[in-house]
Amino acid sequence: MSRSDEETEEQQVWRVLSEAGLVEIRLDEFAERIRDVKRIVIVRLRELLDFDTGIKERESAAYSLGTLKGLELKVLANAPEPPDPSEM
Amino acid sequence: MKSTAKQPRSEANWPPEEGELVSFKTSTGSETAILKEVHWGLVWRDFILEDGRVIPEHRISGCPQRRVWRKIDEVADNEREECEERLLSMAGCGMDPRKRDQSFWAELNQYLAYTYLRFKQAECKVQDTERRRIDRE
Repeated sequence: MSRSDEETEEQQVWRVLSEAGLVEIRLDEFAERIRDVKRIVIVRLRELLDFDTGIKERESAAYSLGTLKGLELKVLANAPEPPDPSEM
Repeated sequence: MKSTAKQPRSEANWPPEEGELVSFKTSTGSETAILKEVHWGLVWRDFILEDGRVIPEHRISGCPQRRVWRKIDEVADNEREECEERLLSMAGCGMDPRKRDQSFWAELNQYLAYTYLRFKQAECKVQDTERRRIDRE
């Protein structure tokens, strides 16, 4: 019996999200996690464009990608300044 | 005021009610606070405290092991779009997701988890279909 057969759907979702570092994102990893999710959306969007199907899903994926890009830029812009090495 | 801090709740009387004292894990240990409301996010429930902090259900003491999470297709398009607008607006106002247990932190966490599940599952379905097609050939 495989691991996925033994798990309930909730446990599987929990594991998938934990492995992706998305259950509780570490405070210094938001930009990285946004980039990871963007990559997944880009892969899916490319598939939808290649098969030329799912116009609604394609639009929705493109919109989500735009949202993630906007969030990434803002999160990076609001990032705290790294400590000045001369003061260390 | 009722408390969930000393007596663990069972699945039958979960979640705690508004005005109850709840205890929860923090990065430094454990704390208690008064529950203002329980709110469904895109994936899991968030417990909003009277002091404004937002704590995911799985960090509240007494949370049943069998978690109740939403399925991706239970989230309507307009709910997702409203969430996206709120997040962009919060980011635009200069709010920082690195402030743990605040609303932007909580909502961005859930949005990223939801978006990951949504597109990762779609990708897995495509791979399954492709695998079945290759198996047939």
